[in-house]
Amino acid sequence: MDIALITGGSRGIGRACAIKLAQMGYYIVINYRSNAAEAEATLEAVKEAGSDGELLPFDVANKESVETAISKWQEAHKGEYISVLVNNAGIRHDNMLMWMTDEEWSSVLDTTLYGFMYVTRALLKDMLIKKFGRIINMSSLSGLKGLPGQTNYSAAKSGLIGATKALAQEVARKNVTVNAICPGFIQTDMTKDLDEAELKKQIPANRFGTPEEVAAVVGFLASKEAAYVTGQAISVNGGLYT
Amino acid sequence: MDREIIIKNINSALADEFEKDPSTFSADGNLYDVLEIDSLDLVDVIVLIEKLFGIKTAKEDFASVKTFNDLYKFLEERINK
Repeated sequence: MDIALITGGSRGIGRACAIKLAQMGYYIVINYRSNAAEAEATLEAVKEAGSDGELLPFDVANKESVETAISKWQEAHKGEYISVLVNNAGIRHDNMLMWMTDEEWSSVLDTTLYGFMYVTRALLKDMLIKKFGRIINMSSLSGLKGLPGQTNYSAAKSGLIGATKALAQEVARKNVTVNAICPGFIQTDMTKDLDEAELKKQIPANRFGTPEEVAAVVGFLASKEAAYVTGQAISVNGGLYT
Repeated sequence: MDREIIIKNINSALADEFEKDPSTFSADGNLYDVLEIDSLDLVDVIVLIEKLFGIKTAKEDFASVKTFNDLYKFLEERINK
């Protein structure tokens, strides 16, 4: 059985990734932190896509929470391993740096960077032993070009790209690929408070993207056909930043 | 378990895993140089030892293992403990 874990899988891009990988035949482990109802809805969508899955709640930024949840999962699934990891969990606390609090800074960096490290480290050993793995990190346009009001988010997502490139080189010879995706403006709960009509004027494609368009790239990177693609940061942004 | 059996088994398994000729293994030979491995490959060595001898080891256990002889000695101690 091919198994994929998606962190922050309850809504938005995470849910779209869950559905896409379910359509590809993966058993989906859906991580979420607090929104159980939405995570259940994702699981229902996974089943409607013709596969199956389960919920695995933990806080990616909390080392003990991650290690406890994943080791329990591994104990309960002897002989199985998670071959595809989508590090999608992320939060935004936008503010001008002048007014940014320590909490706004650290919570965003912790969720993105410690989240990536804790979860990936817990799953990497099995990927190396099995000599197959796909790690897909959800970065952002903000991590490539920087966006005002998001120094914390830009720093976190840019750091994630650096980590992606470094880890990709460490594990490439074990047939484990590591890539990042950098979505631009995507129609999700995270962007619902933005002025789409105004912002889309800056986007060559003249629209926001959909979670499914991001998930399609995840699907490719997770596939066996993507074996020679590693250490890349792939933009899905309608031509907004090239 | 007899030391000679341990050596025979681990050499054979390492040769298979890392596609090396076991005749190139010598007690004083540097494990990492001869097998052309680095710390990432210790994952494979750890799994191989567990499968062969049924003992669990960790990366830290290999801190003082540099040569084949170090490995044989380490295994002998752990297996016969």
